Amino acid sequence: MKNTFRKFWGVFALLTIASMIIASCATPTPEIIRETVEVITTVEVEREVIQTVEVEVEVEVTPMPGPQVGPVLNPDVSGEVELWHFWASPVRRNAIQRVIGICEAKLPNINVTDVVKPFGDIWTANIAAVAAGSGMPDVIVSDRPTLPRDAEEGIYMSLQEWADRDNVTRDQYYDWAWDQTLFEGETYGIPQETDVRVLFYNKQHFIEAGLDPEAPPETWDQLEEYADALDIVSEDGTLTRVGFMPIWNAGPDFWFYNNDAYHVDDEGNFQLTSDNAVETVEWIKSWVDRYGGWQELQDFRGKFSSPPNDLFMGNGVSMFTDIFGYNSQLTFYGPRGDTNRDMVLDGEPRMEWGVALLPHDEDAEPGNWSGGFSFSIPTGADQAEAAWEFIKCAQSAEGQASWARDTQAQPTNIEAASDPGLQGLPQWRVVDDALATSFGGWFIPEYPNWSEQLNQRWEAVWTGDLEPAEMLAEAQAAIEAQLGQ
Amino acid sequence: MATNVISPRRKPFLRPSVKEGLTGWLFASPWIFGFLLFTVGPMVYSLYTSFTDYNIIRPPQWAGLENYQELATDPLFFKSLQNTVWMVIVKTPLVMVAAIALAMLLNLNVPGGKFFRTIFYLPNVLSGIAAIFLWKWILSSNGLLNEALDWFGIDGPSWFVDPDWTKPGLVLMGMWWIGGNVLIYLAGLKNIPNELYDAAAIDGAVGWTKLRYVTLPLLSPTIFFEVVTSIIGAFQIFTTAYILVGNEANAVFGGPGMSMLFYVLYLYNRAFGRIGSGRYDMGYASALAWVLFLIILVITLLQLWLARRWVYYESGERG
Repeated sequence: MKNTFRKFWGVFALLTIASMIIASCATPTPEIIRETVEVITTVEVEREVIQTVEVEVEVEVTPMPGPQVGPVLNPDVSGEVELWHFWASPVRRNAIQRVIGICEAKLPNINVTDVVKPFGDIWTANIAAVAAGSGMPDVIVSDRPTLPRDAEEGIYMSLQEWADRDNVTRDQYYDWAWDQTLFEGETYGIPQETDVRVLFYNKQHFIEAGLDPEAPPETWDQLEEYADALDIVSEDGTLTRVGFMPIWNAGPDFWFYNNDAYHVDDEGNFQLTSDNAVETVEWIKSWVDRYGGWQELQDFRGKFSSPPNDLFMGNGVSMFTDIFGYNSQLTFYGPRGDTNRDMVLDGEPRMEWGVALLPHDEDAEPGNWSGGFSFSIPTGADQAEAAWEFIKCAQSAEGQASWARDTQAQPTNIEAASDPGLQGLPQWRVVDDALATSFGGWFIPEYPNWSEQLNQRWEAVWTGDLEPAEMLAEAQAAIEAQLGQ
Repeated sequence: MATNVISPRRKPFLRPSVKEGLTGWLFASPWIFGFLLFTVGPMVYSLYTSFTDYNIIRPPQWAGLENYQELATDPLFFKSLQNTVWMVIVKTPLVMVAAIALAMLLNLNVPGGKFFRTIFYLPNVLSGIAAIFLWKWILSSNGLLNEALDWFGIDGPSWFVDPDWTKPGLVLMGMWWIGGNVLIYLAGLKNIPNELYDAAAIDGAVGWTKLRYVTLPLLSPTIFFEVVTSIIGAFQIFTTAYILVGNEANAVFGGPGMSMLFYVLYLYNRAFGRIGSGRYDMGYASALAWVLFLIILVITLLQLWLARRWVYYESGERG
């Protein structure tokens, strides 16, 4: 009996270990990126020394402040800085750790510990900590579009005085990105990356469908023509591949801006019911109807999850909107590129993709919107001065360029954006063009959450419960009522 | 000659009954202190803040009944209440029936009983978040369950995508965690004396009649406890919905068709400015919390009153 018992547990333990090994093999194991980066450190006024810094390796550098265009760092400041972010993906986690490595080399008395928090919860956890007066991080990745609200609520410290002292100025960053961080004329966070949207398209799908893989659609009419060629519907009528769906991974707002339909006019009045706005919603609804309705699309979408099994990498959709940084995910995961799994391009059965500007209505100019993040210091942080030193370094041209090289996210620092390493990337031109058409949205102090009146009604339009014009009128009335209060 | 000196017996400083009482209070004091400080204190404070405009950072500003008046005209308050009541009404009886059935099977003293008891309880010791992600995958459109249904020619629903199926999906998911309920019912079943079954057998009782006239009446105190706690738990559903709605644009409104906008999720989203004006609104969230507290209190009192009619104790008393 004892032997049987032992055997049972022996087999059980063996099976458990075997299943753990199989499970770990089944999941793509994140590859730790260990690259050597060059840190140009001004040691003496006339002389530049190139130090090599490897991430996760302590490097002793004794930088000295010297005349420079960017921020002035103070290496004498010391402290243990806790940074909260939500970059858990291997690509982004390594990228932030590389930035930390660079900054710790420049600021030898500062040690930065990064803590990953779930997206969304990071800010509520911080608010609770600020309210309690303890437990908040020293630096937090803040959301730029909501930063003025949080500044007004007293969640973050004003950085303006330090920025003035240390030569961190508006002209070093894109105007709109800097302006997103302002409340009553003072900055509450130094801008980091932008999240301007671009169109990704699968070149294998284009070739299969007889389309030119070097000529992505530029207008809404072309988008529909291309989708006609790219859609695949199985014999029983179910969707196999969707050519394009405008609201997968991008809100309807992006399409408003590509049809000259801006929610707020120059005088600050809401104009949700303009002809162009109604036309835009009708256009999106026509895409939903094209694929058999909202439920059919949701069912189809439910078969996919996050990278590397998302809609685009999983060959569920041929044209897809995302931030340019999605490039780094595609590069990292190297997904298969074709539905039939037999097409090989350049000897590799991997996806080849192109990047283009979001297509626009024929009668409108291309448009875009950029939010993004900034680095802020929560009110009451213990190591505020050391945190500020780290922020200056991380958001300097060098820090942002490092981040952008790893993540391919467009920097807000103008000098970083012109980094040769980035400019050498194929398709980087598209990001520059997208940013040229982009704006930073509106902060309405009386009703910061005004877009909730649209967000809670979209689904009713897609399901056909509300007509586009009716929905926009309802949202407009609700916003006006709220503002009236 | 020895002299016995009898010293007068000293009167104790405290009467024994008082001393005993004080000792009891002393031993209970850490718990009482903690309860007053960490439970009653915040409750009283939240009652106060429910009458204020409070953003959590700045001091509360008195607003009178404003928050409660807004509740009366807030469509999302009613939507969230409706979704939550659906879960209470559907999930509580299903969990109860399934848990009693499993407990009765485990009470049969069949070989491997302890093994199954462990297996049923295992989900309760696993990380809830990980399990929710696991279930999200099992119940995805082309997930494990739909694949299994497909073998029988059944076209499975889109559980967490179709607004009509999100709540049934949550109920199904919830059944995985009934191990704790099963153990409590099992303990209740073990407490029923065998003599009563013997006596019932002599009177001619067989399977169903034994269940109807012995098991269920004597299990009724346990059922009562479970019903009360399960209803309270169902009213407080949050984590599963919060994770399942993800980060989609409609996430703050409870995902597809607002079908997972449960009461506590709505409260949380209002507190942290995800719904509403965009300002942190702890005052309104406190008002929501107190309304939920009152709803649960009324339902629990109602159950206590109804318990007199159906809960039996071994001593012969009625609940």
